[in-house]
Amino acid sequence: MSANKWLATGNFFTTYKQEQRTFLTNLDQSIFTFFLVVLFSWPLLFHLSNKSMLVIDNILIAIVAVMGLNLVTGFAGLISIGHAAFVGIGAYTVASFCRTMGDSHIIVTHFWPLLIIISGFMGALFGAIVGLPALRLKHLYLAIATLSFQMIFQWVINFMSFFNQGQTIFVGRVFWVTGKVGRKDHYLFWYFVILTTVVLLGFGIRNLMKTRYGRSLIAVRDNDRAADAMGMNPGLTKVYAFALSGFFAGVAGALHAYLYRGVGFESFTLHESISYLAMAIVGGLGTLNGSFWGPVAINFLDLKVGSLAEVVGQYMPSGMNLATALKPFTFGLVIVLFLMFEPRGIANWWRITKSYTKMWPFRY
Amino acid sequence: MAQLNVSDVTLSFGGLKALSNVNMEIEPGLITSIIGPNGAGKTSMLNCISGFYHPTQGEIYYKDKKLTHSSPHQVSSMGIARAFQNLELFSGLSVLDNLLLARHQNLNYSFLHAVFFFGKASRVEAENRGYVESIIDFMELEPYRNSLVGNLSYGVQKKVEVARALTLAPDILLLDEPMAGMNQEEKEDIVRFILDIQKERYITVVLVEHDLGVVMDISDRIYVLDFGQLIGSGTPEEVASNPKVIEAYIGEE
Repeated sequence: MSANKWLATGNFFTTYKQEQRTFLTNLDQSIFTFFLVVLFSWPLLFHLSNKSMLVIDNILIAIVAVMGLNLVTGFAGLISIGHAAFVGIGAYTVASFCRTMGDSHIIVTHFWPLLIIISGFMGALFGAIVGLPALRLKHLYLAIATLSFQMIFQWVINFMSFFNQGQTIFVGRVFWVTGKVGRKDHYLFWYFVILTTVVLLGFGIRNLMKTRYGRSLIAVRDNDRAADAMGMNPGLTKVYAFALSGFFAGVAGALHAYLYRGVGFESFTLHESISYLAMAIVGGLGTLNGSFWGPVAINFLDLKVGSLAEVVGQYMPSGMNLATALKPFTFGLVIVLFLMFEPRGIANWWRITKSYTKMWPFRY
Repeated sequence: MAQLNVSDVTLSFGGLKALSNVNMEIEPGLITSIIGPNGAGKTSMLNCISGFYHPTQGEIYYKDKKLTHSSPHQVSSMGIARAFQNLELFSGLSVLDNLLLARHQNLNYSFLHAVFFFGKASRVEAENRGYVESIIDFMELEPYRNSLVGNLSYGVQKKVEVARALTLAPDILLLDEPMAGMNQEEKEDIVRFILDIQKERYITVVLVEHDLGVVMDISDRIYVLDFGQLIGSGTPEEVASNPKVIEAYIGEE
């Protein structure tokens, strides 16, 4: 047995099963558990306004979506410019239940976890269909195929009367064991639901990457010729990668629909797709923790620049146009700077910090 | 009966015939070498066997199974592994991960097991890790177990390439110039491994190699290609005295 399970020093593996641990030391595990407890308990201790809670919920939903995008773009190396459309598929799955059964039908309000999972599978189904060109196309050509899906999605939503031509479709208030979730607790309730989803899906990815289903993704990214020779079907693996990312996107979409209590097409446009891609890049492609950093960073940047623009608008009304242009400008600038100076994203800073603190106070 | 039967294979790219009417019989448990001058079609032959190219005419049989039109992953799951001439490793991953990747076909647990990582997935992965360790042990890659493949020296990367093919637990191992660009010491090292693979693991080896000294020393049978045509075959002695082969390598008197 290993001598000391709490520190990395003297922590030896004697069986291959021990090597499969998610956390290297008990210390890591305790810190993580503590962090989770804090995440779950702080909203009960400090009461935040609904507006701030909405921002946080939004970030968490973006994390779910970006985790999916990271699977297909980061791990499997397939650029997807249609991710918002997959998120839309999830949201519109919920919406279509509301349209056919009424927005306060018992399935929508009581069986919402089921509906979220169904949305995930719908996302996966569409992901697999959109991924089919991956059997033939590569690199940028495949990216264009996903872009076309984004366009088709927007067009279909805008022209189908079933989907209210893209106008808002209402989703009813859900029930929890304590009864109907009211206006006051709505954002707090969904904070807990989405956070739980993030944790579950995060562990799912973590586990997956330790198995052949995760390794095959990396194999087709690094060298699909060799992957083929090693007994993986590269085409199918790519389709599977799209399906997997579609599942995450579908879940994110359903959560989005419930959180906003409505589905409108403007939340699933090309602009959103690019934002997700930016979050994945800024966070760090091909890393799990990058999926957490990216949405947080981009959303906070958006928020700060937005409030800066307001301040500028107050004092210099003539500069208002310039100030509103600041948002897309900084967004673009941040992406360019990251691509130039830190292509591995914030996740790399995290890695450096971790290895530094591990050795501290020694330099090597 | 031969383990691998190449009958009358022709491979043409437009007007260019990379291989024309080549016949080969690869016997189980032997080291069979394919030699020939540059551009003779040796790698094309391996590509045909491993499924990267499909012959224009002719058939390839492995035992009784026809693999003329199989894709590489089908061929490798039948038990024919291949090491590439130009390194085709997953360079961003560690040696260990590279070898684990090659076990893809040998692991059977469901997706659900994988996501929750309980029971079967965990057990199979642990066994798998043990198997990979035995290959690392066999190929003497212990010092490099956790280092990134991209950072290793060329000679070691070649060894990893062979190890990765070996991890597939094949019946036939196709080696495409495993000794290219190596110094004498590294070559001797690899030759020792090839002989070990044959003797200890009972794997049939098909070797494409330019170093004639090595080929003559270790091969049981040799096939000589020139401009896509089979110009000679047999034991090393037979091939060495074959006038056509001498002509192809040294030229006419």
